[in-house]
Amino acid sequence: MRLPHDSFAGTLTAALVLTAALVLLARFLVGLGG
Amino acid sequence: MPLTLIDVAARILHVVSVIVWMGHNWANVISQPRYRGILPTDPPEAVREVFMAAARREHGTFRYASLVALGTGLFMLWDRGLLADALLLSGAAAPIGIGVWLGLIMVANLWFVLWPHQKKVLGFVPAPVAERIRCTRVTFLSSRTNTILSIPAVSFMILGAHGGALF
Repeated sequence: MRLPHDSFAGTLTAALVLTAALVLLARFLVGLGG
Repeated sequence: MPLTLIDVAARILHVVSVIVWMGHNWANVISQPRYRGILPTDPPEAVREVFMAAARREHGTFRYASLVALGTGLFMLWDRGLLADALLLSGAAAPIGIGVWLGLIMVANLWFVLWPHQKKVLGFVPAPVAERIRCTRVTFLSSRTNTILSIPAVSFMILGAHGGALF
């Protein structure tokens, strides 16, 4: 089975998608803390 | 030494150890962009000791750099009274808190998943060839997981202080 980790582009894409998702989460959390 | 100077020293150590640790990880991505189910060549008997010592030094350096990175990071947050808020992802400390949690996951992945398998791959611990090959897949995925996590982790370490517009 080939996972995203198995290619350089896949590794980078997964990292950027995760970063974007976490930025949205952080925005939400910072808002909660007002 | 006043606490401020210790804090500056901790920050420099933090940056250097992150570079040593993640630099090693990324160098591995470049040198081995795809998984290959092969073992490192067993060195000839005459140079085996030298080879193994070098491998231990290389892997030990980046493994312990991860602990320096984690320790200095936690210290700086504690020093500012932000550690609890960061760990609880509370308010303005949420971004750096996400960085801390990613760092904790990465350190745990390195020490408890990658390292026990890597010992067998590199021959530090004796294991049958089939088991060593199986371990190469685990170390590969574990290492790449940290590669992926390094981007958000480093981003959040920086965005916590310099990413005001984002949050």
